[in-house]
Amino acid sequence: MIRFAGFTGTPALLLKMAVIAISDAILVSMLFAALAKDQNAMAGVIAAILLIINFVYFSKRTMPFKFLAPGIILLITFVVVPVIYTVLMSGFTYQTGNEISKKDALIQLIDSGITADAENTSFDTVIGKVDGNLAALATNQTTGEVGIATEKSYTPLSSEQFTRNEYGVAETANGFVRLSDTEAADADSALSTIKFPLGNGYFLSPQGLDVAVRVTQSLVYDEASDTIKNLIEGTTFKDNNRGNFANIENPDQKLEPGWRAYNNFENYLNLFRDPVVRGPFLKVFVWTFIFAITTVIMMFGVGLLLAIAMDKKIRFRRFYRSILILPYAIPSFMTILIWAGMFNRQYGAVNLLLGHQVDWLNSAILAKLIILVVNLWLGFPYFYLISSGALQAIPAELEEAASIDGASPRQIMQRIKMPLLLQILAPLLIASFAFNFNNFNIVYLLTGGGPTNVLAGETAGATDILITYTYKTAFGSTQQNLGLACAISMIMFIIVGALSMWSLRRSRVLENM
Amino acid sequence: MEFETITSIGEHVMKSPMKTGHLWRHIYAWALIAFTIFPIYVVIQSSFDPSGSLASSSLVPTRFSWKNYAALFNNEAVPYLTWVKNSLVLASANALISVFVGAASAFAFSRMRFRGRKLGLQALLLVQVFPSFLALAAIYVMMERIYTVYPSIGLGSLGGLLIIYLGGSMGVNAWLLKGFIDSIPLELDEAARIDGASTPQVYWLIFFPLALPVLAVTALLSFIGTFNEFVLASLFLTDVNQRTVAVGLQQFVGAKFGQNWGPFAAGSLLAAIPLVTLFLSLQKYIIGGMTQGAIKG
Repeated sequence: MIRFAGFTGTPALLLKMAVIAISDAILVSMLFAALAKDQNAMAGVIAAILLIINFVYFSKRTMPFKFLAPGIILLITFVVVPVIYTVLMSGFTYQTGNEISKKDALIQLIDSGITADAENTSFDTVIGKVDGNLAALATNQTTGEVGIATEKSYTPLSSEQFTRNEYGVAETANGFVRLSDTEAADADSALSTIKFPLGNGYFLSPQGLDVAVRVTQSLVYDEASDTIKNLIEGTTFKDNNRGNFANIENPDQKLEPGWRAYNNFENYLNLFRDPVVRGPFLKVFVWTFIFAITTVIMMFGVGLLLAIAMDKKIRFRRFYRSILILPYAIPSFMTILIWAGMFNRQYGAVNLLLGHQVDWLNSAILAKLIILVVNLWLGFPYFYLISSGALQAIPAELEEAASIDGASPRQIMQRIKMPLLLQILAPLLIASFAFNFNNFNIVYLLTGGGPTNVLAGETAGATDILITYTYKTAFGSTQQNLGLACAISMIMFIIVGALSMWSLRRSRVLENM
Repeated sequence: MEFETITSIGEHVMKSPMKTGHLWRHIYAWALIAFTIFPIYVVIQSSFDPSGSLASSSLVPTRFSWKNYAALFNNEAVPYLTWVKNSLVLASANALISVFVGAASAFAFSRMRFRGRKLGLQALLLVQVFPSFLALAAIYVMMERIYTVYPSIGLGSLGGLLIIYLGGSMGVNAWLLKGFIDSIPLELDEAARIDGASTPQVYWLIFFPLALPVLAVTALLSFIGTFNEFVLASLFLTDVNQRTVAVGLQQFVGAKFGQNWGPFAAGSLLAAIPLVTLFLSLQKYIIGGMTQGAIKG
């Protein structure tokens, strides 16, 4: 007789209270941290989690959700939210040069939208402080006039208010305290963003500690018409709805930086329309399918034949089996890296064995071939295991009945066992296709997607599949295009999802829930 | 149990004479063994070759030394033990937490009837077919933002990587475990209920101990999966001391393939041995778990 002690009464209640109190405390502190940093979306998610947890575990009518809540919260926050985020990002211009918000981009544009004045007026400067505020003691290089510029105003000095050094540059002035060497070192980087107003729309822009130039704001933002005007050249730049201010007369002339902006599914359209994007995408798309189909057929073929070979009780079978499942047991990232070393042109074991210096990784065809071979090495044991499992599952009566009817062993295999086997294994073959469709490790670790003809301007390598191409598109070393990467991700989602749904419908899993 | 049929092969080796009709079976097996053994042989041999570089490697062992192994533990720039520790912590934490949380969800789906159950199951089924790294660009941007508020679970941290893994393995584990739980006879919990057990008691006192072996296998599969994970880890872990074995060894050997070959081989071998041992000793259960769908068809 089982006695239901434990997890009841006061100890259980106290434990529950303690766990909920701790998680509440953590979540509340996270909520305040998010609010303090103005991350409202994040704060919203945390507040929702907080409410759900407290409702579910204190209500009496939510028993199933007491079990489901932690899993659902993790699944939604870290799987569903990224997918929604992918959908959103795929609709945006979001790439190198368009990574920040429009507000931040405007600030940067206006800050950098300055031009030296027509006379290229320069100053020798000494940086210091006036009444504790940063200030520059500036000597006009042309006229020799001296003044003190602060972030608020510019005050011309008369000759008795300052002293010049032997080069005629003002060095000290009344009320002006020069920065010490350490203060100067700290202020150096801050100076590049500071502009001291000189009046009449002109500014003193320090170029380091000793020199400054007179600049004027050339780019001016007009909020009403959402345009930026270049006062010197007389040009107008308008929001092109693609994340940049573009010249009205010449739309290809854009101001940098831009911002991330909704672009009407341009990322998707470019995959089919823009030759620069379409070319590599189609190449990668086709190879992804060829790779996934070929590799599944090869692994299944070799594994199935092995299962058939081992289907009779031959000698050493146990020994064979324990060796042949090794590739499945060793962590795959290691064996892929080991194979990559073995295909090294100069010193690799494969070339030592062949006695030739074959440049495996620099030929598109050979690189594709070795990806298939190495993946075969990694995958045939799995197919051997599932095939022999399936062979065992076929009732022996079928074989007996067929042989009584006069069928040869070969006929039994071809006409009876194979069709049954394929039917049993079809879901796993589809799952394997889906897995290899996204097999990042084999491509990235073995060939890095290469060989890539960079000189010809190629962005995709000969062995890149969609997932490695997405990775390169999003996190490439030169140009990063997160919007486009998300659009490619969406296409992969649709392919994998459609394939899986089709497979599930076939196997009628959905009806038995 | 489903997997007994699979593993019965090879259990009984009959001492039959080698018939000529079976010759092709042996030839085929030996050909595949040669293919299988080749890289394993190369890595073992390289790990003991004192030159340590790919350039002077040969197929026939000429010298023997432990130098490559020593290099792994005495090199400041290659914190091999830290990598192993990171991988173990990450993989164990993910396996334990995701199975613990996943089992509760699976129990609810398998044993309880509630509004939205069918819809929930269908959603779970749909979600678990997508590998979480498909959304890698979005995950990256998300974690970059989280970093600005909570650096310890944001980009670049093992904690951040763990929660992404947890989310990713939740669907698969819950789905896999639901299949197992469905096969535990209903009579058991019904009997307990008649004796007056509440639902949490049924879960903790009846179901949990019963399912423990199955939970262990699922945790092990999760562990192996995390240990092998490369995409997200390489994206997240930029600091050399935060890397997992996978990312660490890849960066180490990738930078100078020729020179670091020996220590790399030694490091791979060392990290592989516990996993291979674990796998081979539990292969009966692991293979059963992995081929679930096969026999049910």
